[in-house]
Amino acid sequence: MNSSSSARSATRTVAVHATRLAVILLLGGFLGATLVRVAPGFGTDESDLDSRLSQQSMQALRQSRSSQDSLAGFYVRYLGRLLHGDLGTSRTLQQPVTQLLKDRLPETLKSVGLGLALAWTLGLTLALASVMSRSWFVDLFGSLLAGVLLCVPAAVMAILFVIAQAPARLVLGLIVFPKIFRYARNLLARTAAMPHVLTARAKGLGGTRVLLWHVLPVAAPQLLALAGVSVSVAFAAAIPVEALCDLPGIGQLAWKAALGRDLELLVNLTMVVTAVTLVANSASDLLGNSARAGAV
Amino acid sequence: MRQRLVRLGVLLLFVAVTGAAFAQSGSQLRFCLHSEPKTLNPVLMADESSETVRYLTGGVLMRLNRLTQQLEPELATSWKVSEEGKTISFKLRAGVHFSDGTAFSADDVAYTMQQLMDPALHSPTGDSFRSAEGKVITKVEAKDRVTVIFPAPVVGLDKLFDQVAIMSASSPKKEMAVLGPYYVAENKAGSYLLLKRNPNYWKHDAAGVQLPYINSVRLDIQQNRDVEMLRLVRGEIDFINAVDPEYFDKLAAQAPGTVTEAGVSLDSEQMWFNQVASSPLPAYKKAWFTSTNFRRAISNSINREDLARVVFRGHAQPAVSWVSPANKVWFNAKLQPHAFDQKAALQMLANDGFRLQNGVLRDREGHAVEFSIITNAGNKYRERMATMIQQDLAGIGIRLNVVTLDFPSLIERITRTFDYEASLLGLVNNDLDPNSQMNVWLSSAEQHQWNPEQKTPATTWEAEIDKLMRAQASTLDQKKRKQAVDRVQEIVWQQEPFIYLVNKNAMSAVSKNLRNAHPVVLRPQVYWNIDQLSLGSEVAQNR
Repeated sequence: MNSSSSARSATRTVAVHATRLAVILLLGGFLGATLVRVAPGFGTDESDLDSRLSQQSMQALRQSRSSQDSLAGFYVRYLGRLLHGDLGTSRTLQQPVTQLLKDRLPETLKSVGLGLALAWTLGLTLALASVMSRSWFVDLFGSLLAGVLLCVPAAVMAILFVIAQAPARLVLGLIVFPKIFRYARNLLARTAAMPHVLTARAKGLGGTRVLLWHVLPVAAPQLLALAGVSVSVAFAAAIPVEALCDLPGIGQLAWKAALGRDLELLVNLTMVVTAVTLVANSASDLLGNSARAGAV
Repeated sequence: MRQRLVRLGVLLLFVAVTGAAFAQSGSQLRFCLHSEPKTLNPVLMADESSETVRYLTGGVLMRLNRLTQQLEPELATSWKVSEEGKTISFKLRAGVHFSDGTAFSADDVAYTMQQLMDPALHSPTGDSFRSAEGKVITKVEAKDRVTVIFPAPVVGLDKLFDQVAIMSASSPKKEMAVLGPYYVAENKAGSYLLLKRNPNYWKHDAAGVQLPYINSVRLDIQQNRDVEMLRLVRGEIDFINAVDPEYFDKLAAQAPGTVTEAGVSLDSEQMWFNQVASSPLPAYKKAWFTSTNFRRAISNSINREDLARVVFRGHAQPAVSWVSPANKVWFNAKLQPHAFDQKAALQMLANDGFRLQNGVLRDREGHAVEFSIITNAGNKYRERMATMIQQDLAGIGIRLNVVTLDFPSLIERITRTFDYEASLLGLVNNDLDPNSQMNVWLSSAEQHQWNPEQKTPATTWEAEIDKLMRAQASTLDQKKRKQAVDRVQEIVWQQEPFIYLVNKNAMSAVSKNLRNAHPVVLRPQVYWNIDQLSLGSEVAQNR
């Protein structure tokens, strides 16, 4: 295969991924909007019970909320605005969605980034130590830790951190860690038992060399896939953690938007979370493919 | 020499550490908001958090002293309400400036009134002034004199100005330029608001020291009440404005001396039956719910004393009617809470043809009496009340099903679809004047929750309430108003469209470091005298 055809193939792959991403993003947004629209209580507001408001004000406010009544109409209008870079205004927080995302997304990215760093450092280190050292103690310790953390619900863990005055961002790391440890340990153990690795060991290759030359290259595509999945897991966990620990990120925003049936905000948040998940998965796919190609 | 240097170093370190601790505790008041303020525009504020910001930053013409319940001059040194109650004239304080240095004048009052009464803005504060259709006219007579003319008499007109934060007509900072003790210096979305002392605040204490004493106020947005209590115990916040009974008892045990019970509040908890004619309920249930005997029997079957004692741990009183006993002026003292009397209840039900068969109450047509009550999920006190009511009603053979819904779903059912049988909710009341509840008692009103927006009153007693409420709203004669409001309380007590259950007590928790705090029943319970509050260390500084 010459260089121009491989470039064409790479471009085609990226284009396919980008198209798939755009279609899923639009579908995700539409499904999100549909769920909010059909949820009981859509279009209501606490001001419906405000006895200070006059009859006229109450009716006018209700009418302004019912302008979002048609789902298809809303979505078409939304997409039209989206093309001009306008994400609309949150009904419950009375602020432009762009501003809300600008304020909140960095907080969540910080939490998710820190959580993933902790989870991967801890998970991969323990998995490697368990597989390479072949020590029952390390394996038992890692398995027990992962098992316990897997059993504790995210919300409980968040509350425990608040009580202990520990940085709440670390909760995300502890939520993602068991998944990474268990998958990585099983994968590495399977790879380490492959014939070529056993041969390498039998020929007297050192542990580090076996790991770097014979185990990790084979396990890399699946580890990269796991990286993509771990981003989705961390984002999903950010919602209860941020809501309970009062971290002002998009997880907390999503919680409030869901409680307030804030269509405009929820559609945008769905799009953002879908985009982050898809980009992470696509990136891990692409990197995994390259790793696989490299390994071949 | 070396030893001296070491000692000096240790001393400097000590000074730095204690200084930092001193500065942190002495310069900033901290407390929690339970949600993010929806707006910082004082005209549009409706939610509790926004109103907190308005109270701390907004300068008002007069302020209701929450302790004495009397109006006191603020930006207006004097005012006069005309005899017919349509006009109010203010004499304004001279030499006052907004937080950004812009001078305050009568033009600002005119501008604020124009914004407030703009029909397109739907301001809840503005709507409180609307007693009739027509334009509100503001006449600026001099730099320090202004008159506001309303199209019709407004009862309690002067007291309504307690909620009106004056905005600048000319400041480039618009509504962010304020006349109150603090201004918003920082707003970290979803996290906190930092308010700093207004350098141009006009008030001084008796010794001539400019108020407020506290340099800044940090409002942390903290939804979780457990965490809020934990933070108070740890000393991270200085007070909790309204404490739940459970937390009150915990704090009383953990940190005695921090909690205060100011007495019964204006807030009530009540249940009601759906009496909407077009609701999707079977006809026989509609007949039950519209029967006075049925409602009164249910009321008599509920043990209010137990609700107050068990659910609210004794920090509530059995409720009587729609005016709380805390409202000394307007409460009808002749009325008593309905007694727990299930025999009397069964008698009343028998008058309507109900009969008890094998422990099950049946109506005239043989339908077993069973209905559901909806309340908002997550409110443990309402959930517990519903459970206790369920047990009480089982005593007269009624099966009650408790359904908890999230708030939007509940609002949808009680205001739009009317797909519910009974509801249990509370009323948060900030206003002493019963006129503020016009939208609840008029049969044509949207907030007339048991049967809203009636074209003509469905019952004779509702027609009488309409007449009495309109009568009290159209006269400034206090005696006549009191007679009308007393009669409405009697009718509500007899007919029980709302079955009033309990009035909760007003409870607060205040750190010992906060000085001059006198928690009261009226909101805002703890910081109503914000410009007089000081923190332990600052008292020493100021004296």
